[in-house]
Amino acid sequence: MNDHSDLISKTLPITYPFVLLFGIYIVVNGHVTPGGGFQGGAVIASILILKYLIDPSVETSLKKIRTIEKLALLLIFLFPLGFLLTFIHLQFPMFNCSYLILMNLLISIKVACGMSIIFIRFVFYETR
Amino acid sequence: MLKLALIVLIILAIFTIQTQKMRHAVVYLGAFSLTISFVYLLYNAPDVAIAEAIIGSTLSTILYLVALQKYKIFTVYYCLSEEEFKDQSHLTTEHLQFNKLLDKYCAKQELEPQIIYTVDNVDTIKAHHQYALIVLNESSHITIWGHPENYKLDSIIAFFDSEIHFKIPIEFIKVEEVIE
Repeated sequence: MNDHSDLISKTLPITYPFVLLFGIYIVVNGHVTPGGGFQGGAVIASILILKYLIDPSVETSLKKIRTIEKLALLLIFLFPLGFLLTFIHLQFPMFNCSYLILMNLLISIKVACGMSIIFIRFVFYETR
Repeated sequence: MLKLALIVLIILAIFTIQTQKMRHAVVYLGAFSLTISFVYLLYNAPDVAIAEAIIGSTLSTILYLVALQKYKIFTVYYCLSEEEFKDQSHLTTEHLQFNKLLDKYCAKQELEPQIIYTVDNVDTIKAHHQYALIVLNESSHITIWGHPENYKLDSIIAFFDSEIHFKIPIEFIKVEEVIE
């Protein structure tokens, strides 16, 4: 972790797309198989840890992630209100599945951003 | 299978408490988390198992390891004479360059440098204080004493050797362990 290892920095970037794909799989299939927004978001957030293990000196900016997180929270509040209060789920029952997937995606974005913020703050900013 | 996993859980928990080194305890805790996520899976709760495996054994383990890394304090004593301490004449460009290099090294190794300026003698610091490095800054010559338990000393020597544009010769002295 403290010494920059060639083996880690060359082999770990290969696993980036697989981790991302696994996280998206968990999120999108969350309503039929085990998993869901929270678990998938946590998997996606672990990409940031991979990045830290590969090169600890690169700092990531917090502001963008914070904005995305707030936006996701706002959408999480707005979508159920718009969906349930207008009674779309009774008139068009075929939209229910896509609604679940959308909510899972939003929650996963929120969780991934939140865990990234925890990790970045802890690793790069906190000193004792 | 379930009973075996539960027994392994108890053994790992005892290991976690009983180890002397913090780092080993963190690793045992990660193994504990992984085993308990397997137990959740056997209890037909795959959702909880995924969350436990990711958060318990990956995120928290790495956070603990980083915290341990940050906790290590690297104490550096600068020995000055009394006149230097009063009129700040030690702040030459070479000294500032040396400080910058030391900061760079500490950032690279993720150490927390704690720099103390004293007017004490080198021998008194060696005898009475906890230190990692003692720096004696004379004109055109720097002497560094390293603590016997300071396992970073070799990498510091290698680091300063690799910095070619730093002109001042540095003498490294490894303090022998005092047998009492």
